[in-house]
Amino acid sequence: MKALVLDGCREGDYLAMEAALEMTTALAGRVDDVEVVILRELVISACTGCFGCWTRTPGECVLKDDAGKVLRSYVGSDVVAFVTPVTFGGYSSQLKMMLDRLIPLLDPRFTIVGGEVHHRLRYGRFPKTIVLGTLPSPDAGAERLFAGLVARNGRNMHQTIEAEVLVGVPDPPSARQCVERLLDRIGVTA
Amino acid sequence: MNTLILVGSPKGRTSASWMLGSKLAEGLQDHGVTVQFAMVHQELCSGEGAGNLMDLIDSTDLVVLAFPLYVDSLPAPLTRLLELVAERRGRTASEGSPRLAVIVQCGFPEANQCDTAIGICRQFAGFVGMPWAGALAMGMGGMLEGDFKRLPGGGKKILDALRKTAEALARGGDIPDDAKALFARPLSPRWLYTAFGNLGWRKKMRKNKAQRPIGYRPYAQG
Repeated sequence: MKALVLDGCREGDYLAMEAALEMTTALAGRVDDVEVVILRELVISACTGCFGCWTRTPGECVLKDDAGKVLRSYVGSDVVAFVTPVTFGGYSSQLKMMLDRLIPLLDPRFTIVGGEVHHRLRYGRFPKTIVLGTLPSPDAGAERLFAGLVARNGRNMHQTIEAEVLVGVPDPPSARQCVERLLDRIGVTA
Repeated sequence: MNTLILVGSPKGRTSASWMLGSKLAEGLQDHGVTVQFAMVHQELCSGEGAGNLMDLIDSTDLVVLAFPLYVDSLPAPLTRLLELVAERRGRTASEGSPRLAVIVQCGFPEANQCDTAIGICRQFAGFVGMPWAGALAMGMGGMLEGDFKRLPGGGKKILDALRKTAEALARGGDIPDDAKALFARPLSPRWLYTAFGNLGWRKKMRKNKAQRPIGYRPYAQG
């Protein structure tokens, strides 16, 4: 089993960086292969909204940067973990930059998911996705929004995405517990 | 009164966000409001542009974010701008903070798919102390190509919603509920929109001379 960690932490955000480290360590104890992508170290351009990945070179973005390598790893993974500081209830811009570039994994044709219109999946399925957010202090509004965003992303990926938010100062045992809970919930066992 | 319309679409002045923002600007100008535009993607390409954008935000009375829904949220560069503004302003509301309003559209038929994006903008406004003036959200954004006259009914519902919004914002009010409802009303039956949408993708593929089938899987294993 292969896992991919998309580390959307900002440099110097020790809580989120701790979360990414614990996610990686916990996954390494449960799956055969863990790849960590530290998004702040890659060159990933913003999606230009050209739909070239659907209508010019179906399945591949027309922009040539590091996002292509991440997409290949994404498709070849069984589990993908997003790690991000909760940013106004959403994802960090670093993670979002990559998520905006995931649309080549979708097929433009419409289908119905949960009573709403969404796109078909190009590969028949998305890897099982989990999300670990971090907040320096409790913020019920941001946590509620974050849960709503993750649920909406799940509809786009035709799955239920499990998420946790780690709140407080960096604390490895708490972070590890949080990650272990997430992995238990998606049935990834050692 | 001054208004800054931040276009969050990478397509800039050829985008649906620009089209909607421009029409709102006309309404605001009719009420004596001075309107300035900025293209977020283009400005963020340089550190200087980001600083200029933040200066513009600090010196206006109303900021309108006009953007397309990207993965249930804001396009990444717009998210980056919000992060930069928050870093600069901190958590404390400063005197004379501009108000924040939003116009968002998505390519799915359901306007409520924009709700999380609106929530994020509102959360940001609360964080940086910008009074919230409300949001307009619409689905079927794929129909917004170039001209309102090409829309069913000449786009009257959208134009009415933008006119009511401009009136309210110009007098310092919030976006009225009837404008939100008009703006969110579907432009066509859902089945028709998706049928034409599916045909439209194939038409664009032919126009682009795509060499692969629509469901091609370049990263498939083996």
